[in-house]
Amino acid sequence: MLAARKPPVRDGGVISWLRENLFSSVGNTLTTFVVGAVLLYLGVGLLRWIFIEATWGPLWRNLRLLAVYRYPAPLVWRPLSVVAIFIALLGLSAGIARGRGGTIIAGVYWQFAAVVFLITIIALATNWPMRWAWFGVSVAALAGYGLGALVPRLERILLWLWLASLPATIVLIYGLPFAHPTSAMRVVPVREWGGILLTFVLTTGIIPAFPLGIALALGRRSKLPAIKAFCIGVIELVRGAPLITWLFIASLLVPLVFNVEATRIPALLRAYVAIALFATAYMAENVRGGLQSVPRGQYEAAQALGLSSWQMTRLIILPQALRAVIPAIVGQSIGLFKDTSLVFILGLLDLFNVHNVVAQQPESIMVTGGVRLELSLFLCLFYFCFAYRLSVASRQLERHLGVGTR
Amino acid sequence: MASRASRIPSKRERIPFYRNVKVIGTLLQLLFLAVVLIGIFIVYSNISSALQRSNLPASFRFLGDRAGIPIGESAIRYSTSDTYLRALIVGVLNTLRVALLGIVLASLLGVTVGVMRLSKNWLVSRIAGGYVELLRNTPLAVQLVFWFSAVLVPIPPRITNPIELPGGIMFSQVGLALPWLQPSYNFNRWLPWLLGAMAVFVVFYFFQRRRLEHMDRPGRAWRTPLLLFLLIAGGGYVVASLNSSVPEGTVIDFDPDRGRGDVFIDRDGDGRLGRDETPLVGAEVMVRIDEGIIQTNTSNFIESRQMVYSTFRFPALREHEFTSARLEFANPEDAERFDIHVLTFPTVGVIYEDRNGNGEYDPGEEFVAGDGPVAGFGGVPIVLRVEGFERRVITNRDGRFRLPIFESPAVLEAVAEEAEEQQPAGGGGGLGSLFGPPGGAEDEVSELAAAAELLPSGPLVVSVPSVPRSDYTGGVTLSAPYLALLLGLVIYTASFIAEVVRGGILAVPKGQREAAKAVGLSDSQTFRLIVFPQALRIILPPMISQFLNLTKNSSLAILVTFQDFFAISNIVANQTGATIPVILIVIGGYLIISLTFAFILNIVNDKLALVER
Repeated sequence: MLAARKPPVRDGGVISWLRENLFSSVGNTLTTFVVGAVLLYLGVGLLRWIFIEATWGPLWRNLRLLAVYRYPAPLVWRPLSVVAIFIALLGLSAGIARGRGGTIIAGVYWQFAAVVFLITIIALATNWPMRWAWFGVSVAALAGYGLGALVPRLERILLWLWLASLPATIVLIYGLPFAHPTSAMRVVPVREWGGILLTFVLTTGIIPAFPLGIALALGRRSKLPAIKAFCIGVIELVRGAPLITWLFIASLLVPLVFNVEATRIPALLRAYVAIALFATAYMAENVRGGLQSVPRGQYEAAQALGLSSWQMTRLIILPQALRAVIPAIVGQSIGLFKDTSLVFILGLLDLFNVHNVVAQQPESIMVTGGVRLELSLFLCLFYFCFAYRLSVASRQLERHLGVGTR
Repeated sequence: MASRASRIPSKRERIPFYRNVKVIGTLLQLLFLAVVLIGIFIVYSNISSALQRSNLPASFRFLGDRAGIPIGESAIRYSTSDTYLRALIVGVLNTLRVALLGIVLASLLGVTVGVMRLSKNWLVSRIAGGYVELLRNTPLAVQLVFWFSAVLVPIPPRITNPIELPGGIMFSQVGLALPWLQPSYNFNRWLPWLLGAMAVFVVFYFFQRRRLEHMDRPGRAWRTPLLLFLLIAGGGYVVASLNSSVPEGTVIDFDPDRGRGDVFIDRDGDGRLGRDETPLVGAEVMVRIDEGIIQTNTSNFIESRQMVYSTFRFPALREHEFTSARLEFANPEDAERFDIHVLTFPTVGVIYEDRNGNGEYDPGEEFVAGDGPVAGFGGVPIVLRVEGFERRVITNRDGRFRLPIFESPAVLEAVAEEAEEQQPAGGGGGLGSLFGPPGGAEDEVSELAAAAELLPSGPLVVSVPSVPRSDYTGGVTLSAPYLALLLGLVIYTASFIAEVVRGGILAVPKGQREAAKAVGLSDSQTFRLIVFPQALRIILPPMISQFLNLTKNSSLAILVTFQDFFAISNIVANQTGATIPVILIVIGGYLIISLTFAFILNIVNDKLALVER
C-alpha cells in the first residue's frame, strides 16, 4: 500500500501562479526584478509626464479641429449623427447576436460604446457645445443594443439596415445637392472635410475595393490567358509600389487622364482613387487566398450537379472563400485605416496632417519644447483604440471560423 | 436508358460554335482585349492632349539637365550643379542605405522580441506582446513624426553642445557621429592584397566544401579559408603600411583664419587646389595653433525642451587637444557684474550674477537677456583663449579638413587700443567693440601662429568626428532624419517580424522539443540546435516579405525630411513638370525592388524546401 501524500502545492492560487510565471528559477527571478524595475521607472516617468510636465492646452483647444477640421461648426451634428447611426447599428447587431451567444461583435460594441460614454461624460462635465449631441449618441448606442436584445427578429432586416446606412452617411456628411445654401442639409464641399472625419471617409476606400478585388481575384484564376495576364499585371503592378507613390501618382495622373484642369478634381477624389486601387490589389490577393482554400472537391461536386460556372462561383465557391478571408479582410481594413495617414502627400488634412497643423500653430510653438509629444500620444491612442480592438476581433473571428484548422 | 444514351453526341454531330467553350473563351478574350485597348487609347489620347495643352515635357531628356536640388546627405559626391539623373541616383542610394541597415537591425530586434514573447517569464512575454500590439496598431507615419519631431530634434542637445560618449561618439540634434575606418590615399597599395585574399578565400572555400562533401563529413568549410584570408590581408596591410608614402608634390593649403585647409598634389605650383588637381583623400594632418582666441556671445534658447539662459558655446574641444585654456569676458565692465559658471570645460558655460553673494552659481541667478544694456546685442561677449591647440584631422573626399575658427589674440589688443583711443573723443567705443574690429585695425592684426603637418598614413585611417562649427566633420554621421527614419522603420517592422518569429517557433512540432530534452540537451541547446533551425524554414519567407515592406515603407522618408528615392522624385516632378517620365521612373524603381525581393524569396524557398524522399 502506498502511503497517502499531500496534494501538490503548485495547484491554483496566486502564489503558485507567481512562482511558476515570475520566480521559477534564479535567472527568472532576477529577470523579473530587473525588468520590473525598468518598467516601474518608465511607467512612473510616463505618468509624471502626463500629469505634471505635459502641456495639454493646445490639444484640448483644438479637439474640434482634430475631429472634423473645417467642417462648419453649426453642422457638426451631421457627422455626429453618423456616429450615432453606426454605434446604434453595432449595438443592434450585438444585441441580436447576444441571443445566439455571439461575443465577438459584442466585445467590439462594448468597447466603442464605452469610448462614446467616456466622451459624453467629458463633454457634459466640461460644457462642450456639442454635449447634448454626444448625449444623444450615447442614448442611440444603448437603444440599439436594447432593441436588438428585445427583438431578435430584426435580424432579417439587419443587413438591409447596414446597407441603408451607407447612403444615409453620404447624405449626412456631404449634404443634399439641391438643398438651400443656408438650410441644415446644405452641401459641405469636400475641401472642408478633415480630421478624424476624413480619416474614416478615406478608410471607406475598402468598400469599392471589395467587388473589384473579387473580380480581379476571379480573373487571376481564370483559364483565359488574356484576362489572367491582365489581372496579374494589375495586381502585381499596384502591389509593387508603396501606397504613398500611388497617391503621388494619382495626384499627378488623374487630371491628365480625364484631361481637365488639375484644380477641378478635388484632392480627396484623387486620394480616394489611389486608395481604392491600392486596396483592390491587396483585396484581390486576400480573396485569392480564400479561393485557394476551397477544396477541389467542391468544384467537382458543383460541376457534377450541373451548375454553370457562374452559378458554381456564386453559390458554392465565393461563399466559402469569402467566409474564410473575413479575418484577412479585417486585417487589411486596419492596415488601410492606418495608411490613410499618407494622404498628407496630397495636402489633405486628415487626422495625421491636422496634428501637424496643430503642432505648428503659434500657441503650440510658444510652449517650451512644443506639443509634439502630447499630440503623438493622442494620435497613438486614437489609432490604437480602433486598430487594436479590430485586430483582436479578427483573431477571435479566425478562431471562431476555424480557418486553417479544418 | 437507351434514350438517354442516344443523347450523347456522336462523333459526326458537332457542338454549335456558340456553345463551344473554346470559341466562347476566345471571343470573350477578344472582347476583353478590345475593351482594354480602347480604354488605353482613350487614356493615352487624353494624356497626350493634356500634356500638349499644358506644355509639359514628356521625354526623359530632362534627366541630363542641371538639377539644382540641394540634398542634405549623399553616399556619393553630389552638388547642386549635378544632373537630375545623378540626383535620382543619390536618392536610390539613400533608400538602399536606410533599407539595408534597417533590414539587419529589424531582424535582430524582431527575433529578440519574438523569442521574448515566448519567454517563460510572464512579465517579459507580456512586455514583448505589448510592444508588438502597440507598434503594429499605430500608423508608421505617426511613429516617424514622433521619432523625428518629438524625440530626435527637441530632446538631444544642440550640435554645439554634443553628448560625448566613450570612443569618440557624439550625439546631438544634428545626429549621431561615429568614428570610422576610412580608406586613405594609400589604400591602393593594399587593394591588390585584399582582392587576392578574397580570391584565395573563395577558391579555398569551395575546394574545402567539395572535399568535405566528398568525404561525406560535416564540418565548417569556412574556417581554414578565413584564417588564410586574415593572414594574407593582414600581412598585406603591414607591407602596404611600410611602403606607404606621401605622393610627390603634396601641399597643404592651410587657412587657419577660415578654419580649413586643402591637401592635394600641387601640379601647377601655385599652392591652391585647382580644378584638375588631385585632392588627397583620407590624409592625416596634425594641425597646431600655438595661441588663439575664439569669441562668442551668450544667448538664451530652448534646448532639450527647456529654456536655457545666457549660455555660451564654443566649438567643442577635447581635453587632450590643448595645453591651456582660459575663459574671460571681452568687456572689462562685464567682468565686474557677472561671473562665469563653466558647465563643460572649456567650451560651455553660463554667466550669472551672484545675487545672494555666496560666490557660487545657483539656479535662477542666470543673467536673463532683456534687462541691462547689453541685452539688445544678443548677450555678453565671451572670449576663449587657447594655447597649444593640436588636433589630428582627416581630409574628406574633397581633400579638405576643417577646424574651429581661431583668431589671433592680437585682435583683442587691437580692439582694446582702438577703444582707448576713441574713448576720450566720442565715447562710443563700447558699441564699436561689439560690432567687431573696426576697419582700420585689420592691417595691424597679425596672422595666427599656426602650422599643419602631414602625418604618414597607412591604407586605412581612423577618422574621429569633431564639431568645427555647427556641423560634424570626420567619422561617419547618421543625421537626425536618417536616424529617425531608421529607428521608425526598424521598430515598426520588428513588431511584424516578431510575430513571424513567434509563429515559426510555435510551428515546430512539440515532439522535437521533447526529443531534444530526452537526448539530454539543455534549454538553450534545444533552442539553438533543434528548434530555431527548423523554425527558420518557416520564418524566412514571410520575413523576406517584411524586408520588402520595410524597403517600400522607407518612402515615408519625406516625413522626416530625409531625401530618399521617392522624396527626390517628388521634387524632380515638381521642378520639371515631367509628370509622366517621373511616374514611370518611380513605378519602375519600386518594381525593380519588389522583383529583386521576389527573386531572393524564390531562391530562399528553393534552398529551404525540405528534401523529401
